[in-house]
Amino acid sequence: MTLDDLTKSSGEWLRGTGPESDIVMCSRIRLARNLADFPFTNRASRSEKTEIEANFRAAIAHAHLELSYLDVNGLGTLDRQFLVERQIVSRELANSDGPRGVAISSQENVAIMVNEEDHLRVQYMLSGFRLPEVWESINHLDDQLEEQLAYAFSSELGYLTACPTNVGTGIRVGVMLHLPGLVQTKQIDKVFRALQKINLAVRGLYGEGSQASGDFYQISNQQTLGKSEPELIKILTDVVPQVLQYERNARQTLLTERRQHLHDQVSRAYGVLKTAQTISSEETMLLLSSVRMGINLGLIDDLSIATVNELFIQTQPAFLQKLRGSELGVEERNVERASYLRRRLSNGRQPPPH
Amino acid sequence: MRCQRCHKEASIHLTERVKGQRRELHLCPGCARKAGLTLPDSPPDLALDSVVQTLIVAHVGELVGELAERTCPDCGLKFMEFRAGGRLGCPRDYRVFAAGLLPLIQRYHGATRHVGKTARPADRAEERLRLRTRLREAIAREDYEEAARLRDQLRPEEIQA
Repeated sequence: MTLDDLTKSSGEWLRGTGPESDIVMCSRIRLARNLADFPFTNRASRSEKTEIEANFRAAIAHAHLELSYLDVNGLGTLDRQFLVERQIVSRELANSDGPRGVAISSQENVAIMVNEEDHLRVQYMLSGFRLPEVWESINHLDDQLEEQLAYAFSSELGYLTACPTNVGTGIRVGVMLHLPGLVQTKQIDKVFRALQKINLAVRGLYGEGSQASGDFYQISNQQTLGKSEPELIKILTDVVPQVLQYERNARQTLLTERRQHLHDQVSRAYGVLKTAQTISSEETMLLLSSVRMGINLGLIDDLSIATVNELFIQTQPAFLQKLRGSELGVEERNVERASYLRRRLSNGRQPPPH
Repeated sequence: MRCQRCHKEASIHLTERVKGQRRELHLCPGCARKAGLTLPDSPPDLALDSVVQTLIVAHVGELVGELAERTCPDCGLKFMEFRAGGRLGCPRDYRVFAAGLLPLIQRYHGATRHVGKTARPADRAEERLRLRTRLREAIAREDYEEAARLRDQLRPEEIQA
Protein backbone atom coordinates (compact mmCIF):
# COMPACT_ATOMS: atom_id res chain seq x y z
CA MET A 1 0.00 0.00 0.00
CA THR A 2 1.26 3.47 -0.85
CA LEU A 3 0.30 6.88 0.42
CA ASP A 4 -1.50 7.63 -2.81
CA ASP A 5 -3.66 4.53 -2.31
CA LEU A 6 -4.68 6.03 1.01
CA THR A 7 -6.11 9.14 -0.62
CA LYS A 8 -8.52 6.91 -2.51
CA SER A 9 -9.88 5.14 0.54
CA SER A 10 -10.87 6.03 4.05
CA GLY A 11 -10.47 4.29 7.38
CA GLU A 12 -13.06 1.82 8.68
CA TRP A 13 -13.40 3.99 11.76
CA LEU A 14 -15.05 6.72 9.65
CA ARG A 15 -17.76 4.43 8.38
CA GLY A 16 -20.31 5.62 10.89
CA THR A 17 -21.38 2.10 11.83
CA GLY A 18 -21.43 0.25 15.13
CA PRO A 19 -23.34 0.95 18.34
CA GLU A 20 -24.09 4.59 19.25
CA SER A 21 -22.40 5.79 16.07
CA ASP A 22 -24.64 8.88 15.94
CA ILE A 23 -22.42 10.21 18.75
CA VAL A 24 -19.47 7.83 19.06
CA MET A 25 -17.31 8.28 15.98
CA CYS A 26 -14.85 5.60 17.04
CA SER A 27 -13.41 3.55 19.88
CA ARG A 28 -9.65 3.42 20.16
CA ILE A 29 -7.07 1.72 22.35
CA ARG A 30 -3.33 2.18 22.25
CA LEU A 31 -0.59 0.26 24.02
CA ALA A 32 2.86 1.66 24.76
CA ARG A 33 5.56 -0.98 24.40
CA ASN A 34 9.37 -0.92 24.45
CA LEU A 35 12.02 -3.43 23.54
CA ALA A 36 13.88 -4.66 26.64
CA ASP A 37 17.41 -4.38 25.33
CA PHE A 38 17.42 -0.88 23.86
CA PRO A 39 17.45 2.56 25.44
CA PHE A 40 14.14 4.44 25.05
CA THR A 41 13.72 6.35 21.79
CA ASN A 42 14.88 9.74 23.15
CA ARG A 43 18.16 8.16 24.26
CA ALA A 44 18.68 5.77 21.33
CA SER A 45 21.31 6.44 18.69
CA ARG A 46 20.40 6.62 15.03
CA SER A 47 21.72 3.13 14.41
CA GLU A 48 19.84 1.77 17.41
CA LYS A 49 16.63 3.29 16.07
CA THR A 50 17.35 1.63 12.73
CA GLU A 51 17.80 -1.69 14.56
CA ILE A 52 14.55 -1.23 16.49
CA GLU A 53 12.77 -0.55 13.21
CA ALA A 54 14.37 -3.62 11.60
CA ASN A 55 13.48 -5.85 14.56
CA PHE A 56 9.90 -4.67 14.41
CA ARG A 57 9.63 -5.23 10.67
CA ALA A 58 11.07 -8.72 11.07
CA ALA A 59 8.53 -9.38 13.84
CA ILE A 60 5.53 -8.44 11.71
CA ALA A 61 6.87 -10.60 8.89
CA HIS A 62 7.44 -13.62 11.17
CA ALA A 63 4.03 -13.23 12.78
CA HIS A 64 2.48 -13.03 9.29
CA LEU A 65 0.69 -9.83 10.17
CA GLU A 66 -0.85 -8.21 7.14
CA LEU A 67 0.44 -4.72 7.69
CA SER A 68 2.05 -2.22 5.34
CA TYR A 69 5.04 -0.36 6.73
CA LEU A 70 5.46 3.31 5.88
CA ASP A 71 8.92 4.75 6.41
CA VAL A 72 7.99 8.12 7.93
CA ASN A 73 11.61 9.29 7.93
CA GLY A 74 11.59 9.13 4.14
CA LEU A 75 8.41 11.17 3.76
CA GLY A 76 8.08 14.88 3.07
CA THR A 77 6.27 17.33 5.35
CA LEU A 78 3.02 17.14 3.40
CA ASP A 79 2.85 13.35 3.51
CA ARG A 80 3.60 13.31 7.21
CA GLN A 81 0.86 15.89 7.82
CA PHE A 82 -1.48 13.73 5.76
CA LEU A 83 -0.88 10.78 8.12
CA VAL A 84 -1.55 12.99 11.14
CA GLU A 85 -4.86 14.14 9.62
CA ARG A 86 -5.90 10.52 9.18
CA GLN A 87 -5.12 9.80 12.85
CA ILE A 88 -2.57 7.21 11.75
CA VAL A 89 0.44 8.91 13.34
CA SER A 90 0.80 11.46 16.13
CA ARG A 91 2.09 14.98 15.60
CA GLU A 92 5.07 13.97 17.72
CA LEU A 93 6.05 11.16 15.33
CA ALA A 94 5.46 13.35 12.28
CA ASN A 95 7.62 16.17 13.60
CA SER A 96 10.48 14.22 15.18
CA ASP A 97 13.50 12.99 13.22
CA GLY A 98 15.54 9.86 12.68
CA PRO A 99 14.47 6.36 11.66
CA ARG A 100 10.76 5.94 12.42
CA GLY A 101 7.59 4.72 10.78
CA VAL A 102 4.14 3.26 11.05
CA ALA A 103 2.64 -0.10 10.15
CA ILE A 104 -1.01 0.02 9.11
CA SER A 105 -3.66 -2.49 8.11
CA SER A 106 -5.64 -2.10 4.89
CA GLN A 107 -8.73 -0.79 6.70
CA GLU A 108 -6.58 1.47 8.88
CA ASN A 109 -7.92 -0.17 12.06
CA VAL A 110 -4.35 -0.99 13.08
CA ALA A 111 -1.59 1.60 13.24
CA ILE A 112 1.66 0.74 15.00
CA MET A 113 4.04 3.67 15.35
CA VAL A 114 7.73 2.83 15.63
CA ASN A 115 10.23 5.06 17.47
CA GLU A 116 7.69 7.51 18.79
CA GLU A 117 8.06 8.40 22.49
CA ASP A 118 8.07 4.64 23.06
CA HIS A 119 9.57 2.10 20.65
CA LEU A 120 6.09 0.89 19.76
CA ARG A 121 2.74 2.59 20.04
CA VAL A 122 0.19 -0.01 19.02
CA GLN A 123 -3.21 1.45 18.11
CA TYR A 124 -6.49 -0.23 17.24
CA MET A 125 -9.60 1.69 16.18
CA LEU A 126 -13.16 0.65 15.32
CA SER A 127 -16.11 2.82 14.36
CA GLY A 128 -18.85 3.15 17.00
CA PHE A 129 -18.79 2.33 20.70
CA ARG A 130 -17.02 -1.04 20.78
CA LEU A 131 -14.25 -0.91 23.35
CA PRO A 132 -14.39 -4.57 24.46
CA GLU A 133 -14.06 -5.65 20.81
CA VAL A 134 -11.16 -3.25 20.30
CA TRP A 135 -9.46 -4.65 23.41
CA GLU A 136 -9.87 -8.22 22.21
CA SER A 137 -8.28 -7.34 18.87
CA ILE A 138 -5.40 -5.28 20.20
CA ASN A 139 -4.67 -7.78 22.98
CA HIS A 140 -4.34 -10.52 20.38
CA LEU A 141 -2.17 -8.33 18.16
CA ASP A 142 0.04 -7.49 21.15
CA ASP A 143 0.40 -11.23 21.95
CA GLN A 144 1.50 -11.90 18.38
CA LEU A 145 4.11 -9.15 18.57
CA GLU A 146 5.32 -10.30 21.97
CA GLU A 147 6.03 -13.76 20.61
CA GLN A 148 8.62 -12.12 18.35
CA LEU A 149 9.90 -9.26 20.50
CA ALA A 150 11.27 -9.08 24.05
CA TYR A 151 9.30 -6.31 25.78
CA ALA A 152 10.61 -4.19 28.65
CA PHE A 153 8.50 -5.48 31.54
CA SER A 154 8.86 -5.70 35.30
CA SER A 155 6.63 -7.76 37.56
CA GLU A 156 6.22 -4.80 39.95
CA LEU A 157 5.70 -1.95 37.48
CA GLY A 158 4.41 -3.77 34.39
CA TYR A 159 5.30 -2.51 30.92
CA LEU A 160 8.12 0.03 31.24
CA THR A 161 7.63 3.22 29.26
CA ALA A 162 9.71 6.31 28.51
CA CYS A 163 7.32 8.44 30.54
CA PRO A 164 6.22 7.18 33.98
CA THR A 165 2.68 8.44 33.26
CA ASN A 166 2.22 5.44 30.91
CA VAL A 167 3.89 2.76 33.01
CA GLY A 168 2.00 -0.40 34.02
CA THR A 169 -0.53 -1.42 31.40
CA GLY A 170 0.74 1.21 28.95
CA ILE A 171 -2.88 1.48 27.84
CA ARG A 172 -4.88 4.46 26.67
CA VAL A 173 -8.55 3.69 26.20
CA GLY A 174 -10.44 6.34 24.31
CA VAL A 175 -13.61 7.22 22.47
CA MET A 176 -14.12 10.04 20.00
CA LEU A 177 -17.48 11.68 20.59
CA HIS A 178 -19.46 14.17 18.53
CA LEU A 179 -21.09 16.53 21.04
CA PRO A 180 -22.68 19.46 19.19
CA GLY A 181 -25.77 19.36 21.42
CA LEU A 182 -23.78 19.88 24.60
CA VAL A 183 -21.75 22.62 22.93
CA GLN A 184 -24.83 24.51 21.70
CA THR A 185 -26.67 24.22 25.01
CA LYS A 186 -23.47 25.39 26.73
CA GLN A 187 -23.30 22.37 29.02
CA ILE A 188 -20.05 21.00 27.63
CA ASP A 189 -17.77 22.57 30.25
CA LYS A 190 -19.85 21.12 33.04
CA VAL A 191 -19.52 17.64 31.51
CA PHE A 192 -15.77 18.07 31.06
CA ARG A 193 -15.28 19.16 34.64
CA ALA A 194 -17.16 16.07 35.82
CA LEU A 195 -14.97 13.84 33.60
CA GLN A 196 -11.77 15.47 34.78
CA LYS A 197 -12.85 14.93 38.37
CA ILE A 198 -12.85 11.19 37.79
CA ASN A 199 -9.41 11.44 36.22
CA LEU A 200 -10.39 11.19 32.55
CA ALA A 201 -8.71 13.38 29.93
CA VAL A 202 -10.67 15.36 27.32
CA ARG A 203 -9.09 16.51 24.04
CA GLY A 204 -10.25 17.75 20.63
CA LEU A 205 -10.14 15.87 17.31
CA TYR A 206 -6.45 16.63 16.82
CA GLY A 207 -5.63 17.33 20.43
CA GLU A 208 -6.95 20.88 20.58
CA GLY A 209 -10.33 21.51 22.18
CA SER A 210 -12.86 23.82 20.55
CA GLN A 211 -15.50 24.08 17.86
CA ALA A 212 -12.63 24.39 15.41
CA SER A 213 -12.43 20.62 15.70
CA GLY A 214 -16.05 20.11 14.65
CA ASP A 215 -17.41 19.48 18.17
CA PHE A 216 -15.43 16.24 18.36
CA TYR A 217 -13.94 15.34 21.69
CA GLN A 218 -11.79 12.43 22.75
CA ILE A 219 -12.22 11.06 26.23
CA SER A 220 -9.56 8.74 27.64
CA ASN A 221 -8.07 7.35 30.83
CA GLN A 222 -4.97 8.83 32.42
CA GLN A 223 -4.20 6.23 35.05
CA THR A 224 -2.33 3.24 33.61
CA LEU A 225 -0.95 1.53 36.72
CA GLY A 226 -2.72 -0.35 39.51
CA LYS A 227 -5.80 -1.34 37.51
CA SER A 228 -6.03 -4.09 34.91
CA GLU A 229 -6.85 -3.35 31.28
CA PRO A 230 -10.47 -4.59 31.61
CA GLU A 231 -10.91 -2.45 34.74
CA LEU A 232 -9.65 0.64 32.93
CA ILE A 233 -11.89 -0.12 29.95
CA LYS A 234 -14.86 -0.52 32.30
CA ILE A 235 -14.37 3.05 33.59
CA LEU A 236 -14.99 4.26 30.03
CA THR A 237 -17.81 1.83 29.27
CA ASP A 238 -19.54 2.96 32.48
CA VAL A 239 -19.11 6.69 31.98
CA VAL A 240 -19.54 7.15 28.21
CA PRO A 241 -23.23 6.06 28.18
CA GLN A 242 -23.96 8.87 30.66
CA VAL A 243 -22.29 11.40 28.37
CA LEU A 244 -24.30 9.99 25.46
CA GLN A 245 -27.49 10.44 27.48
CA TYR A 246 -26.58 14.09 28.22
CA GLU A 247 -25.89 14.69 24.53
CA ARG A 248 -29.19 13.07 23.50
CA ASN A 249 -31.07 15.16 26.06
CA ALA A 250 -29.37 18.30 24.78
CA ARG A 251 -30.27 17.47 21.18
CA GLN A 252 -33.88 16.78 22.25
CA THR A 253 -34.00 20.13 24.04
CA LEU A 254 -32.77 21.86 20.89
CA LEU A 255 -35.36 19.99 18.81
CA THR A 256 -38.30 20.80 21.04
CA GLU A 257 -37.43 24.32 22.15
CA ARG A 258 -35.67 25.63 19.07
CA ARG A 259 -36.77 23.33 16.29
CA GLN A 260 -37.19 26.00 13.65
CA HIS A 261 -33.93 27.68 14.54
CA LEU A 262 -32.10 24.34 14.53
CA HIS A 263 -33.61 23.25 11.22
CA ASP A 264 -32.63 26.61 9.72
CA GLN A 265 -29.07 26.35 11.06
CA VAL A 266 -28.65 22.82 9.71
CA SER A 267 -30.11 23.66 6.29
CA ARG A 268 -27.98 26.78 5.93
CA ALA A 269 -24.88 24.83 6.90
CA TYR A 270 -25.67 22.21 4.28
CA GLY A 271 -26.42 24.92 1.72
CA VAL A 272 -23.14 26.73 2.28
CA LEU A 273 -21.12 23.51 2.08
CA LYS A 274 -22.84 22.57 -1.20
CA THR A 275 -22.37 25.95 -2.87
CA ALA A 276 -19.42 27.87 -1.39
CA GLN A 277 -16.65 28.90 -3.78
CA THR A 278 -14.03 29.36 -1.09
CA ILE A 279 -14.15 28.11 2.49
CA SER A 280 -11.75 27.86 5.42
CA SER A 281 -11.03 24.70 7.36
CA GLU A 282 -12.55 26.18 10.53
CA GLU A 283 -15.83 27.11 8.87
CA THR A 284 -15.99 23.70 7.18
CA MET A 285 -15.61 21.88 10.51
CA LEU A 286 -18.25 24.05 12.12
CA LEU A 287 -20.76 23.53 9.30
CA LEU A 288 -20.05 19.81 8.92
CA SER A 289 -20.77 19.45 12.61
CA SER A 290 -24.23 21.01 12.15
CA VAL A 291 -24.89 18.82 9.12
CA ARG A 292 -23.83 15.70 10.98
CA MET A 293 -26.22 16.47 13.81
CA GLY A 294 -28.93 17.32 11.27
CA ILE A 295 -28.64 13.88 9.66
CA ASN A 296 -28.86 12.18 13.06
CA LEU A 297 -31.97 14.19 13.96
CA GLY A 298 -33.66 13.42 10.65
CA LEU A 299 -33.45 17.01 9.37
CA ILE A 300 -31.32 16.00 6.37
CA ASP A 301 -32.16 12.77 4.55
CA ASP A 302 -30.11 12.72 1.35
CA LEU A 303 -26.61 12.44 2.84
CA SER A 304 -24.88 9.56 4.64
CA ILE A 305 -23.09 9.86 7.98
CA ALA A 306 -20.09 8.07 6.46
CA THR A 307 -19.70 10.83 3.86
CA VAL A 308 -19.81 13.56 6.50
CA ASN A 309 -17.34 11.65 8.70
CA GLU A 310 -14.96 11.35 5.76
CA LEU A 311 -15.29 15.03 4.94
CA PHE A 312 -14.05 16.01 8.40
CA ILE A 313 -10.75 14.36 7.44
CA GLN A 314 -10.77 14.95 3.70
CA THR A 315 -11.14 18.72 3.93
CA GLN A 316 -7.96 19.01 6.01
CA PRO A 317 -5.06 20.84 4.32
CA ALA A 318 -2.73 17.94 3.54
CA PHE A 319 -5.45 15.74 2.08
CA LEU A 320 -6.54 18.48 -0.32
CA GLN A 321 -2.97 19.04 -1.44
CA LYS A 322 -2.38 15.31 -1.90
CA LEU A 323 -5.55 15.11 -3.95
CA ARG A 324 -4.50 18.05 -6.06
CA GLY A 325 -0.97 16.68 -6.33
CA SER A 326 0.74 19.92 -5.45
CA GLU A 327 1.38 22.25 -2.56
CA LEU A 328 -1.26 24.95 -2.15
CA GLY A 329 -1.30 28.23 -0.23
CA VAL A 330 -4.12 29.04 2.20
CA GLU A 331 -6.28 30.84 -0.37
CA GLU A 332 -5.81 28.13 -2.98
CA ARG A 333 -6.66 25.49 -0.40
CA ASN A 334 -9.89 27.31 0.47
CA VAL A 335 -10.89 27.26 -3.19
CA GLU A 336 -9.88 23.60 -3.55
CA ARG A 337 -11.79 22.71 -0.38
CA ALA A 338 -14.98 24.41 -1.60
CA SER A 339 -14.70 22.71 -4.97
CA TYR A 340 -14.14 19.30 -3.32
CA LEU A 341 -17.14 19.81 -1.03
CA ARG A 342 -19.37 20.77 -3.96
CA ARG A 343 -18.37 17.61 -5.81
CA ARG A 344 -18.85 15.33 -2.81
CA LEU A 345 -22.18 16.89 -1.78
CA SER A 346 -23.76 17.25 -5.23
CA ASN A 347 -25.08 13.76 -4.60
CA GLY A 348 -24.88 12.74 -0.98
CA ARG A 349 -24.11 9.07 -1.53
CA GLN A 350 -21.58 9.45 -4.29
CA PRO A 351 -18.23 7.81 -3.54
CA PRO A 352 -15.12 10.03 -3.49
CA PRO A 353 -14.17 11.10 -7.04
CA HIS A 354 -10.81 10.01 -8.42
CA MET B 1 24.42 21.22 25.10
CA ARG B 2 20.62 21.34 25.23
CA CYS B 3 18.46 23.39 27.55
CA GLN B 4 17.27 21.17 30.41
CA ARG B 5 13.79 22.62 30.18
CA CYS B 6 12.91 22.87 26.50
CA HIS B 7 15.79 21.18 24.64
CA LYS B 8 16.67 24.26 22.62
CA GLU B 9 20.36 25.12 22.42
CA ALA B 10 21.50 26.14 25.91
CA SER B 11 23.61 29.26 26.18
CA ILE B 12 23.60 29.77 29.94
CA HIS B 13 25.63 27.27 31.92
CA LEU B 14 25.92 27.38 35.65
CA THR B 15 27.98 25.19 37.93
CA GLU B 16 27.74 25.24 41.66
CA ARG B 17 29.64 23.43 44.36
CA VAL B 18 27.95 22.75 47.69
CA LYS B 19 29.76 20.64 50.28
CA GLY B 20 31.91 19.06 47.60
CA GLN B 21 28.87 18.28 45.38
CA ARG B 22 28.87 19.67 41.86
CA ARG B 23 25.61 20.84 40.34
CA GLU B 24 25.09 21.94 36.77
CA LEU B 25 22.35 23.87 35.11
CA HIS B 26 22.06 24.46 31.36
CA LEU B 27 19.37 26.75 30.00
CA CYS B 28 18.44 28.51 26.77
CA PRO B 29 18.02 32.31 26.98
CA GLY B 30 14.20 31.99 27.01
CA CYS B 31 14.03 29.56 29.91
CA ALA B 32 16.74 31.43 31.78
CA ARG B 33 14.66 34.60 31.52
CA LYS B 34 11.58 32.75 32.79
CA ALA B 35 13.66 31.48 35.69
CA GLY B 36 14.65 35.01 36.56
CA LEU B 37 18.18 34.64 35.22
CA THR B 38 18.29 37.79 33.10
CA LEU B 39 22.04 37.84 32.90
CA PRO B 40 22.90 40.81 30.66
CA ASP B 41 20.77 43.22 32.66
CA SER B 42 21.40 41.65 36.04
CA PRO B 43 22.78 43.83 38.77
CA PRO B 44 26.39 42.85 39.37
CA ASP B 45 25.69 41.67 42.89
CA LEU B 46 22.95 39.21 41.89
CA ALA B 47 23.01 36.33 44.29
CA LEU B 48 23.31 33.67 41.60
CA ASP B 49 23.84 30.90 44.09
CA SER B 50 20.46 31.38 45.68
CA VAL B 51 18.71 31.59 42.30
CA VAL B 52 20.34 28.36 41.18
CA GLN B 53 19.53 26.71 44.46
CA THR B 54 15.85 27.61 44.04
CA LEU B 55 15.86 26.18 40.53
CA ILE B 56 17.44 22.93 41.59
CA VAL B 57 15.01 22.51 44.41
CA ALA B 58 12.21 23.10 41.91
CA HIS B 59 13.73 20.47 39.63
CA VAL B 60 14.44 17.71 42.08
CA GLY B 61 12.04 18.64 44.84
CA GLU B 62 13.12 17.60 48.28
CA LEU B 63 15.31 14.94 46.71
CA VAL B 64 18.66 16.62 46.71
CA GLY B 65 22.10 15.17 47.22
CA GLU B 66 22.77 11.62 46.20
CA LEU B 67 19.67 11.02 44.09
CA ALA B 68 20.00 14.27 42.14
CA GLU B 69 23.52 13.23 41.19
CA ARG B 70 22.73 9.61 40.42
CA THR B 71 23.42 8.50 36.83
CA CYS B 72 22.10 5.36 35.13
CA PRO B 73 25.10 3.20 34.23
CA ASP B 74 23.32 1.93 31.12
CA CYS B 75 21.88 4.97 29.42
CA GLY B 76 23.81 7.73 31.17
CA LEU B 77 20.67 9.63 32.21
CA LYS B 78 20.90 11.73 35.37
CA PHE B 79 17.87 12.00 37.62
CA MET B 80 18.15 15.79 37.25
CA GLU B 81 17.79 15.42 33.50
CA PHE B 82 14.68 13.32 33.96
CA ARG B 83 13.17 15.96 36.24
CA ALA B 84 13.89 18.60 33.61
CA GLY B 85 12.75 16.67 30.52
CA GLY B 86 10.18 14.22 31.89
CA ARG B 87 11.46 11.24 29.88
CA LEU B 88 13.45 8.28 31.12
CA GLY B 89 16.39 6.92 29.15
CA CYS B 90 16.06 3.14 29.42
CA PRO B 91 14.04 0.42 31.18
CA ARG B 92 16.68 0.11 33.89
CA ASP B 93 16.04 3.70 35.03
CA TYR B 94 12.97 2.49 36.90
CA ARG B 95 15.27 0.63 39.29
CA VAL B 96 18.18 3.07 39.31
CA PHE B 97 15.90 6.01 40.19
CA ALA B 98 13.26 4.03 42.13
CA ALA B 99 13.58 6.30 45.19
CA GLY B 100 12.69 9.35 43.14
CA LEU B 101 10.23 7.75 40.74
CA LEU B 102 8.01 5.77 43.07
CA PRO B 103 6.60 8.81 44.94
CA LEU B 104 5.90 10.44 41.59
CA ILE B 105 4.25 7.28 40.23
CA GLN B 106 2.18 6.95 43.42
CA ARG B 107 1.00 10.54 43.08
CA TYR B 108 0.07 10.19 39.39
CA HIS B 109 -1.47 6.71 39.33
CA GLY B 110 -2.47 6.26 42.95
CA ALA B 111 -0.62 2.95 42.88
CA THR B 112 2.88 1.52 42.57
CA ARG B 113 2.06 -2.05 41.66
CA HIS B 114 1.11 -3.36 38.22
CA VAL B 115 -2.13 -5.28 37.81
CA GLY B 116 -3.09 -6.76 34.46
CA LYS B 117 -1.45 -8.29 31.44
CA THR B 118 2.05 -9.70 31.87
CA ALA B 119 4.90 -10.25 29.44
CA ARG B 120 7.43 -13.05 29.60
CA PRO B 121 10.78 -12.10 31.13
CA ALA B 122 13.25 -10.87 28.53
CA ASP B 123 16.32 -13.09 28.29
CA ARG B 124 19.66 -11.35 28.94
CA ALA B 125 18.02 -7.98 28.27
CA GLU B 126 20.06 -6.05 30.84
CA GLU B 127 23.29 -7.56 29.65
CA ARG B 128 22.45 -6.65 26.07
CA LEU B 129 21.45 -3.16 27.11
CA ARG B 130 24.86 -2.80 28.76
CA LEU B 131 26.64 -4.10 25.66
CA ARG B 132 24.83 -1.49 23.60
CA THR B 133 25.97 1.24 25.98
CA ARG B 134 29.56 0.07 25.63
CA LEU B 135 29.09 -0.05 21.86
CA ARG B 136 27.87 3.55 21.80
CA GLU B 137 30.83 4.59 23.93
CA ALA B 138 33.29 2.70 21.72
CA ILE B 139 31.95 4.40 18.62
CA ALA B 140 32.10 7.78 20.35
CA ARG B 141 35.82 7.34 21.08
CA GLU B 142 36.36 5.87 17.60
CA ASP B 143 37.49 2.51 18.96
CA TYR B 144 36.18 0.54 15.99
CA GLU B 145 37.91 -2.69 16.95
CA GLU B 146 36.08 -2.79 20.27
CA ALA B 147 32.88 -1.71 18.50
CA ALA B 148 33.14 -4.63 16.07
CA ARG B 149 33.74 -7.03 18.94
CA LEU B 150 30.69 -5.72 20.82
CA ARG B 151 28.56 -5.92 17.69
CA ASP B 152 29.51 -9.58 17.35
CA GLN B 153 28.44 -10.20 20.92
CA LEU B 154 25.11 -8.57 20.24
CA ARG B 155 24.51 -10.30 16.93
CA PRO B 156 23.72 -14.01 17.55
CA GLU B 157 20.50 -13.36 19.48
CA GLU B 158 19.20 -10.90 16.95
CA ILE B 159 19.32 -13.57 14.31
CA GLN B 160 17.36 -15.89 16.57
CA ALA B 161 14.88 -13.13 17.30
